[in-house]
Amino acid sequence: MSTFDAGGSQLDTSWFLLLAAVLFILGTIGVLIRRNPLVILICIELMLNAANLTLVAFSRQLQNLEGQLFALMSMTVAAAEAVVGLAILVDIFRHRDVEDVDDLSELKG
Amino acid sequence: MAIAIFFVAAALAVAGGIGVITFRQPIRSVLSLVVVMIALSILFLLLSAQFIFVAQVIVYAGAVMVLFLFVIALLGPAKEIAKGRLRFQTWLSALFVLALFGLIWAMLQGVQYRQPEQTDLSTFGTVQSIGIGLFTKYLYPFELTSILLLVAAIGAIYLSRREGDDR
Repeated sequence: MSTFDAGGSQLDTSWFLLLAAVLFILGTIGVLIRRNPLVILICIELMLNAANLTLVAFSRQLQNLEGQLFALMSMTVAAAEAVVGLAILVDIFRHRDVEDVDDLSELKG
Repeated sequence: MAIAIFFVAAALAVAGGIGVITFRQPIRSVLSLVVVMIALSILFLLLSAQFIFVAQVIVYAGAVMVLFLFVIALLGPAKEIAKGRLRFQTWLSALFVLALFGLIWAMLQGVQYRQPEQTDLSTFGTVQSIGIGLFTKYLYPFELTSILLLVAAIGAIYLSRREGDDR
């Protein structure tokens, strides 16, 4: 197997961590200020991706492959979450016209 | 060279992230998220995680995003209207996000992670080594993952069934 080095070993791990923090914050802002439930799900995917980036960055820093395996697992969980969340959304949208997450407040009592 | 690639990919990712939260139409948010995914997959390649790179492109940028696009096509392009209700939410969320970013920033100052020492890149992160890890030490979680996916698929089919189909 040929050696694959993209030259990434010159890069500091903290740069990746900072980028992941920025992406996570962007996702948090989206969840907090957007009103469309679909966009909120998209922003959650963004946050999960940022967390994945930290996992892989630490995996390289510590020379431990388990970080990458964890990233794979979280990718699976994110896919399952997207599927179930979107199915719930489709069901809600089918029954009534929701254009704002604030309309979904039945559980408030 | 790698540094240039890193900064281009990072700029793309941040621009896509800003696009996700600023575009009014959901379809544009989804397409911005695809940009973020592709940029992140380049970063995974820089971190010598080849298998994660492939999985990111196929699973995220491919499957999950197509799922989002299908749902948008099903529900119709609804533009988001900014309503006047609860205006203080925006300011409260800005405050909260600033506090969160400050916390993360402070934490990042504490860690001084520099470049890792050279490793054997012919084995680290390849499909082979990932497979060995997945099928020996982590075989049990790996099998549980399949049950999770099965449950998610059944749940999605059940939730999105038509009205009157439940005989």
